[in-house]
Amino acid sequence: MENKSRRSFVKKLGVSVGAAGLVGGSSLLSSCNQVETASGDTIKLLTSSGELVEVSKAQLKPADMPSLSENQKRGRQGLPNRKFVMVIDLSKCRNARECMKGCQNHHQLRPEQHHINVLQMQDAEHTAPYYMPKPCQHCDNPPCTKVCPVNATFKREDGIVLIDNERCIGCRFCIAACPYSARVFNWFEPRDAEKYEGVTYNIEANVPQKKGTISKCLFSADRLRDGKLPTCVSSCPNGVYWFGDQNEDAVTNGTTHETTSFSKLIKDNAAYTLMEELGTKPRVYYLPPKDRAFPFQGEIEDHHS
Amino acid sequence: MKIKLLVVAILFLAQQGMAQEWLVPEDQKNIENPSEYNLANVKKGKDLYLLNCKSCHGDAGKNNGLPLVPPPPDVTSDQMQANTEGELFYKITHGRGGMPQFETTLSEDDRWRLVNYIRNYSPDTEALLVEEPPKKAKVLASVNEAERVVEVFAEYQNKDSVYVALAETPITIGAQKAFGILPIGEVLTNNEGRAEYAIPETLIGDEQGMVTLVIDLGEGFITEDVVLDASKVGQPKPTPVLIKEEVLWSTNDNIQTWLLLSYLAAVLGAWGTIGYVVFQIFKISRAGKEE
Repeated sequence: MENKSRRSFVKKLGVSVGAAGLVGGSSLLSSCNQVETASGDTIKLLTSSGELVEVSKAQLKPADMPSLSENQKRGRQGLPNRKFVMVIDLSKCRNARECMKGCQNHHQLRPEQHHINVLQMQDAEHTAPYYMPKPCQHCDNPPCTKVCPVNATFKREDGIVLIDNERCIGCRFCIAACPYSARVFNWFEPRDAEKYEGVTYNIEANVPQKKGTISKCLFSADRLRDGKLPTCVSSCPNGVYWFGDQNEDAVTNGTTHETTSFSKLIKDNAAYTLMEELGTKPRVYYLPPKDRAFPFQGEIEDHHS
Repeated sequence: MKIKLLVVAILFLAQQGMAQEWLVPEDQKNIENPSEYNLANVKKGKDLYLLNCKSCHGDAGKNNGLPLVPPPPDVTSDQMQANTEGELFYKITHGRGGMPQFETTLSEDDRWRLVNYIRNYSPDTEALLVEEPPKKAKVLASVNEAERVVEVFAEYQNKDSVYVALAETPITIGAQKAFGILPIGEVLTNNEGRAEYAIPETLIGDEQGMVTLVIDLGEGFITEDVVLDASKVGQPKPTPVLIKEEVLWSTNDNIQTWLLLSYLAAVLGAWGTIGYVVFQIFKISRAGKEE
């Protein structure tokens, strides 16, 4: 069907150019070009960094963007020989919430949806309260991927747990399975749905979001492919996040861009992982909230009395 | 109406101005700095400043602090220098709004040393820490893969615009990682401007053990970092398999044979039993007809 219409179009073009004659044809073509550049038609595009830009149609050139099936294929393979790891320094967090803002912009999330959320914590009655950013833990033994009946959510060889929203049927088994409440469901039309209309789905950013499917933190897998740090890591103003490749044993701070040894960092600071006892083997490590530079300003309800 | 608006505007501005003023208790204002104003203390203060303050207040004299509201003032600014030493100490100790408190993170001595460092830029005191303008420098470096050493030669442009060997200067060696440069060591140049750095055995490279080394001369010099492209001096990066079949068997690709076989056996067994029962019933009914 497509081939036929293309063929008929080429045929028609040939006829019209032939009719106009050689000289006429060339002038026709050049006038076409002029019309193209003069027209003010614009088109909305999503850049690789997650920004929506408007460009004139005349400036468009076909890019080497992978097709949906190609994107889904490489999205399942992950980046070769890497094992991404995140370290969150709780002593630095002062609830600036820049990570949450950056994340919601990148992944087209409504204000109530969080891939990363800064929680107010108090471990026991007399202990000091602190802020705790909580992204998906990207477990090495993920409970969520095992309950998916359609193989929509999966673990990649580079450590990241992703979702294919084209496969997801919205059964929400994974939400029930995740002990960290890392997953969100698109109950409503996603934010700015009309802006993202017609944009090819990117499995490594979960953009555009689809109503009736699951979304969760992806360690900004699309940015990692470009060699950039995840959005939350680079938007933090307080040096909370360290991110890197565990195979290389190096993590880089998103604020200061200082690089240090991963094993030394977690050893020197007595790092821990969340709910160790569940055997989920998280890829997100926490440094304890000691020597906090900022006073806690939130309100903790007293659940301990 | 206009006058009313004007009054409201003035009141608002006045309130803003008051909100920005940071009042320090009278008894704290004139506390004397117990730490002596000398080069050692100012240097220590500078190190503390670079570690704790620079990320917001920026480099001294460059007015490159973070664009926050209210803006963190430069160390050399009048706004900063108008404070008494007691006021500076109080503000560093207690913090306010965007400015963190350092009461629990820096010792009292260190906080006074920071005050010493700030006073280095005061118009009333003699500057002890004179920062020279950065010099132009050239760095040459090569890797000896066999002996696992980096050979560095550095020279700088002296007052007569002649390049001479850079002696007794620390040079930082770093290794390029996924998202940044990991510092792995530091060497001092000798009198001829040469230095040799022995690469540690434990250095991790990429899958083949290739490492991209970066040689940096530090802040006092204008030079481009020397990047030595991949050389085989590191350990091959370990690439353990993360997805083990027995852990993630829920997908079709990772299913284990014993699981698949037992599943198929169970299904076949169930259907076989049903078939056998139906067949027996059929046989019974046929036997009944024959009689």
